[in-house]
Amino acid sequence: MMNWRQILLVLKREYLTRVKSTVFIISTLLIPLGFVAYIALIIGIQFWESEPQQDIGIHDQTEMLVERLINQNDDRYTDMTHVPVDSLRSLVIIGQLDGYILLTEDHITGGQPPEYIYTGSSSVTLQTSIRTDLREAIREERLVREQVSDEIRNIFETQVSLQTRKLTETGDEEEDHAAFYAALGFILGLVIFFSLFMYGTIIMRGVIEEKSNRIIEVIASSIRPIELLTGKILGITSVAITQFAVWTLLIVLVAMAAGPIAMMLVGDVTADPAAMEAAGGIDPAMFEIPAVPVSLVFGFFVFFVLGYFLYSALFASIGSAVDSESDTQQLMMPVFVVLFIGFFLNMEVVQNPDSGISLFGSLFPFFAPMNMISRMAISSVPLWQIGLSIFLMLATIAGTMLLSARIYRVGILQYGGKAGFKDLLKWFRQS
Amino acid sequence: MSVINVKNVSKSFGKTRAVINVSFEVETGKIFGLLGPNGAGKTTTLRMINYIISPDTGEIRVHNETVSSKTQKWIGYLPEERGLYKKMKVGEQLLYLAQLKGLSTGEAKKRIRYWLERFGAIDWHSKQVGELSKGMSQKIQFIATIVHEPDIYIFDEPFSGLDPINSELLKEIIIELREKGKAVLFSTHRMEQVEQMCDDICLFNNGRAVLTGNLREIKKNAGKNTVLLEFVGDGSFIELLDGVRINNRSTNFAEIRILDDQKPQMILEKAMEHTEIQKFELVEPSLTEIFITTVGEDNVNPKELV
Repeated sequence: MMNWRQILLVLKREYLTRVKSTVFIISTLLIPLGFVAYIALIIGIQFWESEPQQDIGIHDQTEMLVERLINQNDDRYTDMTHVPVDSLRSLVIIGQLDGYILLTEDHITGGQPPEYIYTGSSSVTLQTSIRTDLREAIREERLVREQVSDEIRNIFETQVSLQTRKLTETGDEEEDHAAFYAALGFILGLVIFFSLFMYGTIIMRGVIEEKSNRIIEVIASSIRPIELLTGKILGITSVAITQFAVWTLLIVLVAMAAGPIAMMLVGDVTADPAAMEAAGGIDPAMFEIPAVPVSLVFGFFVFFVLGYFLYSALFASIGSAVDSESDTQQLMMPVFVVLFIGFFLNMEVVQNPDSGISLFGSLFPFFAPMNMISRMAISSVPLWQIGLSIFLMLATIAGTMLLSARIYRVGILQYGGKAGFKDLLKWFRQS
Repeated sequence: MSVINVKNVSKSFGKTRAVINVSFEVETGKIFGLLGPNGAGKTTTLRMINYIISPDTGEIRVHNETVSSKTQKWIGYLPEERGLYKKMKVGEQLLYLAQLKGLSTGEAKKRIRYWLERFGAIDWHSKQVGELSKGMSQKIQFIATIVHEPDIYIFDEPFSGLDPINSELLKEIIIELREKGKAVLFSTHRMEQVEQMCDDICLFNNGRAVLTGNLREIKKNAGKNTVLLEFVGDGSFIELLDGVRINNRSTNFAEIRILDDQKPQMILEKAMEHTEIQKFELVEPSLTEIFITTVGEDNVNPKELV
């Protein structure tokens, strides 16, 4: 019934004029660039915090600990036992040293904590690192003094390495991934929320522009309004998909590059575990994004496109009812409210992806684009629910398209005066 | 041969009856004028012929087919509310509009070049419409209307807002189209344009077609019942005449329509008594006059007719 040649012509025009625009090119490139900058910032902070040139003087009255410390990190610790404490203070003040530690017998036997005296700044990671070094040195010395057998000392040492492994690989890591998917689900829902809104506004503006440029009647004498509307919606959907595809691609590239780049930046430091700890505990693995299932990416596109079909028709009919963008507020209100409810439901979905409310949100056509994708990211949603959700959306799209097309058809030829809901109802009945 | 056939067409918007039982035929090789005051239903009728809106009752046929997406392609339409995409280049825009009318890309490009050259606008091909002056955009709008070279042309109030140069240009185009054997239908509320150009007319008032037919015949049938009088002297006697309507009056000129069976000689005699006559002529009434006679003086807002 519809003439696809005409629809394609409209689609092509809508697509090309937007994709060629500077706004599109800039926004498409800037957002991933922002992402890159964000990652770079995190790496940068970690990197600068790790500051390998920390120079710490050790005044060791016990003469048993300093050697162990130097063994752990000879870049950081210097034996200053022969230098009087007063002189050490001066050295720290004039900046020759970053700080000093006075170690006495009490620290070994009495369990009194040693003090790190420093000037300037000191990061939490550095302090943690020094604390670990001291703890190990003192513990080792105590074990030696208690004449503990080698077996037991080995047990302690294995314990140390066990701790390290636990940090990066086991339990903790799993926890991390759950948080990651929850965040991903929330972000995907958020992206769809903003996109429906952003691209909805774009189509609305396009409709208003055709009216205010007075081109619409020429177009209407060549093509049926439903074809024009369909062409516009498909055109802007293509623009959105292009933008998402570029973003996805760039983000994947960045994510793939982030690990190696981080590795390169902190390079040799990570070569041996002790030095790595000194570097502030940078682990390139933390920049690697856990695998995102392809089905989720696919689901994102499907639910965005369906959601966009649903909402864009409404946005277009609002655009057809007014002469300028400033007149849209009253008509936009209900669409806004519905979108926002869907967005707020998303908070619930992220926390309890399988609750009754979440199930409702992911099936109700106006919320489903946001809520279903969040659920899909977080929990494994039964296939029949996804299918039902898509089916309900398709049915609703047929309804909104019909409703919008009838309003649109009359609205585009109306000039002067703001239309209200009463007018829309009148137009709907008229056509 | 009739190419547009409007038959008993009515259209209402809510309680407003915009077009009421209108019928007329537009023939090929002729210029058809649709005239009447603003709000008489002209634009609604043109939109129905262009398949932009549908009639409630009645039928419209173009080339003997009920109006449809297909018949749209046979028509070049210049609406009253006309414009262009501001952010598109002239060439791209004309191409898009021509393709929507069914032209292939190659054919459209060829014709766009031809018309741009003909209008001395080929240099604007790669300019954005937003950069063009109003007069330039109007030329591009003409081209957009005629570029697919259809058989039927519909112009809604084509001369409103045109500068004198473009006004002349459009007149030339319309005359040329008639000479090529095309059918031209245009609406206007300016009677003198119709008198200059049209072969056939349809007079609209309050949604009804009150008078339809060949312009010459309509005028002939009205009879020579209008006196054009030029004089020197005191013209106050004119106001005292009975059974006449004074349409045009200045210090030494008057157009007097004789309403009843009075003899024009009576006016001549009165004029001779009071003034020195320079010219006395008996002519057919003007279209404005015919319009007023047809719809009745009380139903006309004189400001709407120029």
